[in-house]
Amino acid sequence: MEQRLSNTWRMTINEKKFIKTSLLADLRVDGRRPFDYRRLIIKFGSEDGSSEVQLGQTHVMGVVTSQLVQPYRDRPNEGTLSIYTEFSPMADPSFEAGRPGESAVELGRIIDRGLRESMAVDTESLCVVTGKLVWSIRIDIHILDNGGNLVDAANIAALAALSTFRRPECTLGGEDGQELIVHPPEVREPVPLIIHHLPIAVTFGFIGEENIVVIDPTYFEEAVMGGSMTATLNTNGDVCAIQKAGGVGVLPSVIMQCLRLASVKAGDITNIIKNAVKSFNTERSLRKIKRHNSSVIDVSETAQKVDVKFSTNHVNRLKLSEDSRVAQGNGMEVDGQISQKEGTSKRDSSAKSFIGGPSSWDPHSKGIDPDALRASFASRVVLAPTEKLEDSKVDEPTDIEPNQPIVDDNSYISPKEATNTKSKTNEEKTLIDAIKPKHRRRRKASSQH
Amino acid sequence: MEFVSPEGLRLDGRRPMEMRQLRAKIGAVDKAHGSAYFEMGNTKVIAAVYGPREVQNRSQQLNDQALVRCEYTMANFSTGDRRRKPKGDRRSTEISLVIRQTMEACIMTHLMPRSQIDIFVQVLQADGGTRSACINAATLALADAGIPMHDLVTSCSAGYLNSTPLLDLNYVEDSAGGPDVTVGILPKSTKVTLLQMDSKLPMDIFENVMQLATEGCKAVANYIREVLLEKTKERQKFHGV
Amino acid sequence: MRDIESLRLNQTQKLRFEKALEQLDFLSAAANSNACVAVADTILVDHQDGLLKGHGTTDFDGELVATVCGVVERVNKLVYVRTLRARYKPETGDIIVGRVIEVAPKRWRLEINFTQDAVLMLSSITTGEDIQRRQTADDELNMRSIFVENDVVCAEVRGVQHDGSLHLQARSQKYGKLERGQLLTVPPYLVKRRKQHYHYLEQLGIDLILGCNGFIWVGEHIDTKDDMVEDQVAKSEQQNENPGDNFSKETYTSVEIRQNICRAANAVRVLCALGFNITADVIIETVKLSNSVDIHEMLGPEFYVLVAESEVERRRSSKRI
Repeated sequence: MEQRLSNTWRMTINEKKFIKTSLLADLRVDGRRPFDYRRLIIKFGSEDGSSEVQLGQTHVMGVVTSQLVQPYRDRPNEGTLSIYTEFSPMADPSFEAGRPGESAVELGRIIDRGLRESMAVDTESLCVVTGKLVWSIRIDIHILDNGGNLVDAANIAALAALSTFRRPECTLGGEDGQELIVHPPEVREPVPLIIHHLPIAVTFGFIGEENIVVIDPTYFEEAVMGGSMTATLNTNGDVCAIQKAGGVGVLPSVIMQCLRLASVKAGDITNIIKNAVKSFNTERSLRKIKRHNSSVIDVSETAQKVDVKFSTNHVNRLKLSEDSRVAQGNGMEVDGQISQKEGTSKRDSSAKSFIGGPSSWDPHSKGIDPDALRASFASRVVLAPTEKLEDSKVDEPTDIEPNQPIVDDNSYISPKEATNTKSKTNEEKTLIDAIKPKHRRRRKASSQH
Repeated sequence: MEFVSPEGLRLDGRRPMEMRQLRAKIGAVDKAHGSAYFEMGNTKVIAAVYGPREVQNRSQQLNDQALVRCEYTMANFSTGDRRRKPKGDRRSTEISLVIRQTMEACIMTHLMPRSQIDIFVQVLQADGGTRSACINAATLALADAGIPMHDLVTSCSAGYLNSTPLLDLNYVEDSAGGPDVTVGILPKSTKVTLLQMDSKLPMDIFENVMQLATEGCKAVANYIREVLLEKTKERQKFHGV
Repeated sequence: MRDIESLRLNQTQKLRFEKALEQLDFLSAAANSNACVAVADTILVDHQDGLLKGHGTTDFDGELVATVCGVVERVNKLVYVRTLRARYKPETGDIIVGRVIEVAPKRWRLEINFTQDAVLMLSSITTGEDIQRRQTADDELNMRSIFVENDVVCAEVRGVQHDGSLHLQARSQKYGKLERGQLLTVPPYLVKRRKQHYHYLEQLGIDLILGCNGFIWVGEHIDTKDDMVEDQVAKSEQQNENPGDNFSKETYTSVEIRQNICRAANAVRVLCALGFNITADVIIETVKLSNSVDIHEMLGPEFYVLVAESEVERRRSSKRI
């Protein structure tokens, strides 16, 4: 309702007629058949719990973060799950920045209903101390490009992000056994969420007088359709949520038909998500395996080599405060070595890669001569093997408080470089890398308190 | 907790297929062009319709049809604990959108171009099924204002607890965590215009529950039609000519 | 206007009221057994072909269905549904009363009880003395000296534009700004189109204008002469004589006239609440009836019952005639 209609693009009568007429012949404008989905691509970011989904032209990003909070009074042993949507004007000129409009709220609530009421995420396992501390899971959905059918894409993004999200493990310890210790990822492996089932949203559009049904409407079809229905189902044959918010009337038999169709589609999409999550998890565990392998290496040796690396890095970035950084880097290094064994070992591995030949496990990276590398640093070219070093920085916990700004700066380059040779289908930088990880700030904030 | 006793009685003594008592009154708000007050058991809502009138925001004017606006608010005193924000929170925004799109489906907007129809619905007492009561009240108010409609829109909710489909849930049954299906139909053609469901349900049981809710909607439609007819006759009687 | 049910009638009043209602029912049922319909009711028609589907009806699956609540009227081959609480339906030549809500370039926008605001062009009004003079830019700048926001204006419908908005005109002296009175809003269906909409109630000394759009003006009587030339001469003479005498024009309205205005306005309110047709005769009768009660008691339950009873009488007598 608050839409500035002057920004709204309107469809011409010719286009509307064309879409409707071609649908009478079971043909859609982009060549699909009425019950076909567009191409679905799911990508993950370097962080746990961030995903990027492309459904045709629609581009949505989902990020999951967690925080320790007090539970609701009427549910003292359950964690909370909340969904926030951000409809940026970059996606569609009719979206306004700032307060979410009606469609943003509706989208958030559809996904919320699908996840929360159907108990897809196990909230009881998020309880830490009954009545006092529970984990609050926050899902942020950012719409980057509106190509139609935002609900489905956002739902998939949320599910993918939830599936790959890991929350820090925490135990009760301390002197009196009442203090809560949140273990950083290097000390204890972060724990994934318990997800019972994946509720998949399938959107139908009803177009024209004869109420022709299409699945996954594009932006243009949405402008023509008289009504839409989103059915959220899982592969167990349960209907988790349905949203048909007014619009043209349809017969109940048509609705049941749509639901049966939706269950088939839900199965397909669940497989795609599961496969994507599996490959991400495999890749993630491979990274960890590398860390464990080289834990035997001499500390001082690695320290030296890492110093070199640090210094060249800093030459590359900021010539001015180079020395100070190196010094601080050293300090950090030392701390790192003492408290995080795994972290060092990871750095060791990267150090190793500089010494030795090409890494044996990563099929995509090429072997790089360390001298050439140093030379290339001077000329500001970013190369692959720095990836492992940067990964370690990425995984570093943020509880080295005085050096936090440094950590941040360092990690700023890292995601960009890190994704360069990740074993994924595309080697381009993804949008996630351009954005400073939001949750880092928040984790910092929470750990500071 | 047992929601259906072994004898087949619910917490408030109704049978599973029984609706709560309906009460409607037309003309609750004098100043509005059309208004109605609707009760479904203990849920009480009031609806006021203004229009068609001049569009207040020129940039939003539609040249070929009327602009329909809707606002759903819950009074602070409508629920057990005092509500902090009567409107503007996410649930109210979503329900406003839902009611607007539902009523837009039945109003003949192309007969009133360049004008605006405002529907204001306020919940005075909430005991489950506020969405349905609001849609029913809005239908009455629109008919009272003389706005041409394709068909009435009536709405009812149903749920599934203790393995029994239940019609017209009240607040206790609604907050039990079981599924809640809200259906809005156009009674003449029995086409479904509004369908909302939350919580899990296997598909065949969902079909039963949806059918039950549709039957409830038809019963509401009969009642609403009677009320409208009675009011028209009364006005006509006074008018004379 | 107040709802009848909100009146607190005591036992005897209730009985009388109900009796009056019954008689009205009897009279109206005998007079017209028209079918009342609600939305989406099927209208029974004898022959489908050659039937003109009028306002308030639509075709659904081959049968005729009502889109509004009202009474089905049949005129030869035309079938339509007459709604009671609908918006005003304008026709050229209607006399309406409206309130100015905006002063725009070369026009005023008036609020009348319609889906859109009506437009009164600067060129459509008489500017006073020299109507024959060509309008200059000064006239446009001096628009505010004629009508400002919230003024009540009486005008005539010149025509309905293609986009649905109304154009008004106020070309003769009897149209124009209305002062010293009350504006009342009633549902448009209570005001029938008659030959005359201006009424001068001499006994009461008040003007009564029944706008077709449901806006009714009750005010102090102001002499308006239709003869332009005489007016011009007289005015110019007046102005020459009393140049600085403007304040004397703001004469004090006497208490009696004010009371009469209030009585007439209350009479309109009561009639509107009961849903009876509003004509000048009915108002005069009601005011006569009210002379026995205090003005503020006119909106009390007793008077409502009296008015209902008198309406019954009136209808019965009109039937006999």
